[in-house]
Amino acid sequence: MGKARFLLALWAAKLSIPALKITRHNGTDFPGALALKLCPDFLRYVPRPPKMIAVTGTNGKTTVANMLEDILERRGHRLLTNRAGSNISSGVSTAFIYGSNLLGRTKCDMAVLEIDERSAPRIYPYVKPDYIVVTNLFRDSIMRNAHPGYIADILTANFPRESKLILNADDLISATVAPENDRVYFAIGPMEGDVQECENLLNDMRICPRCAGKLRYDYRRYHHIGHAVCESCGFASPAADYFAHDVDVAGGTMALTEAGQEHEYRLISDGVHNIYNMVTVIATLRELGLTHEEIREGFDHTAILSTRLSRETVGGVDIIMQMSKDKNALACSRNFDAIRHTAGDKELLVMMNCMGVAKNWSENPSWMYDTDFEFLNRDDVVQLVCAGPRARDYKLRLLLAGIPEEKITVEEDEFRAAERLQRKPGHQIYILYGVDGMPLAFRVKAHLKNLLEKGGGAA
Amino acid sequence: MKIEVLFSEVCNLYGDLANVRYLKACCPQLTIVETDLHTKPRFLSEDIGLVFMGSTTEQGLALATEALMPWREEIAAKIDAGQRFLAVGNAVDMLTEGIRSDSGLAITGLGLVPGQAEYRMMQRHNSFFLGTFEDMEIVGFKSLFGHIHGAGEAAEWFHAVRGVGRDGATAAEGFRRGGLMATSLIGPLLILNPPLTKWLLREMGLDDTLAFEDAAMDSYRKRVAEFHEESRGWKY
Repeated sequence: MGKARFLLALWAAKLSIPALKITRHNGTDFPGALALKLCPDFLRYVPRPPKMIAVTGTNGKTTVANMLEDILERRGHRLLTNRAGSNISSGVSTAFIYGSNLLGRTKCDMAVLEIDERSAPRIYPYVKPDYIVVTNLFRDSIMRNAHPGYIADILTANFPRESKLILNADDLISATVAPENDRVYFAIGPMEGDVQECENLLNDMRICPRCAGKLRYDYRRYHHIGHAVCESCGFASPAADYFAHDVDVAGGTMALTEAGQEHEYRLISDGVHNIYNMVTVIATLRELGLTHEEIREGFDHTAILSTRLSRETVGGVDIIMQMSKDKNALACSRNFDAIRHTAGDKELLVMMNCMGVAKNWSENPSWMYDTDFEFLNRDDVVQLVCAGPRARDYKLRLLLAGIPEEKITVEEDEFRAAERLQRKPGHQIYILYGVDGMPLAFRVKAHLKNLLEKGGGAA
Repeated sequence: MKIEVLFSEVCNLYGDLANVRYLKACCPQLTIVETDLHTKPRFLSEDIGLVFMGSTTEQGLALATEALMPWREEIAAKIDAGQRFLAVGNAVDMLTEGIRSDSGLAITGLGLVPGQAEYRMMQRHNSFFLGTFEDMEIVGFKSLFGHIHGAGEAAEWFHAVRGVGRDGATAAEGFRRGGLMATSLIGPLLILNPPLTKWLLREMGLDDTLAFEDAAMDSYRKRVAEFHEESRGWKY
């Protein structure tokens, strides 16, 4: 009965695909959602490729999955991926529907699936990857994800025992998930700019997971990322099987040591988070059996899409669109850190409001008080215009960060807010927007460009 | 005057610690002292104007409760004698008779207030809260794994007008016992509620002028007005 139901669900979902194409709704999760409605344990029966890799974690999972897919596809693999859909059970189901024929047989020889951490209980009971990559675990949405320890517990409870884990040794939260599973670690050794004491408000690994003693960081990259040692019991961050070191950002190179052998790599990005993504990909591909030469060749044809930051110069002003995931202290803090390390005078349009709740609920601003707005308290941040429904909350938070009141403007209407920017030639204007505020942000950018093309600063 | 922050190494979620930073901004002469899990709370032997304990992880709940348990009787006597102790978020749950979850978590609480916290780990409760305390309107947010049941008629701190109280259904929110002020509301409670902060500063015998008072009141008035709008559902 179960298998018959599965086939009916598969056929119905397959039939929906041409209908979606005709109505121009490609790329949605509808086929998977339909299949799960008709057969709730649809994923139990889906045909699996011989090799499956899952990528999960708070940050970087899309980039890592995309890079793996690009490199593996170039090597001739027929991949099953959820790149076009979501990373929850309906998106994963949709990927399997596309990857199966009408007889319920797989068309692929490998799967690379990006999987949302909270969806683990709905996916891993059925889909048991050979490898699960965990990029890192940080705080995310307070409402959905609570705290990273909660997410780590979900992963530990749901990872299939037979999956080999590929873990970040520099992140003691994700490095300690599912302790019974076989595992390898990756890490990046000391880098320029590392610190020992945490500069961030978010610092989620302060005590030893074994004895609750104080952790000392030999080096700390940001937040809880780094190499830690317990001063009480000697517990330490695990040794890395894939250890990147001598990272030369300016020169665009790094070395990676595996089993005592050193291998040179050319960096494909100068951002630390993307260097982590690259090391994650190297570790995964080595586990899959690629040689370092093959991996290097793969990176030569791989680019990291920069969808979250774009730059355009208009009227002598750089306009930088910076997605700063709303309700996410970590994402915004990382962006503020990048802003403080960028030379030049900046005007900021602060509009990371969650538009989805603006009318029917009311955004919880607690996340703002975990966010390093203090990084914006600098002479070269010359103006901050707070816009949108939470503009007043932003102003209060900026004041508490020590930013002088004369630098702060409140204007709820986002278009009028753009008009209040100084718009001085030579300045950089950052438009900081949230995920569901993207369409509005780009309309505001168009308005700003119009103002700049006409010339002249704010009245 | 000193404010003692209990266990900031684990009790540090949801921006809760910003409440203490705000009090310091209001009264720069305040001294903030932090007590870790391995140290006896200072307020049991020192003059402390306010003790603060914020939200934590499930592991943090176990560790912090274990750290406080040896001093349970002394803590009860102190708060009954008027020691001001502000607990927010799930820090309140540690003060109840215990915490149970559907994941198997079982923690014996300090029993300073009645009731038991019951968590459903995959069903997070998110809501906004509009309530009253004395002549003030109180605004805040809940983001919790569960509520406190069985507290009966124990003295509330706030009274819900919109949103839910401590048991997830009725209007009684939080607890008062002597100097204890406890609420399940998370985050920057004092920043969101300047009238409450003024009240607290007066209770502490301090000048009630707030840092950035105009901006804080501006933000507060907007939120109060929003929370009164019937078109907005209080539950997320």
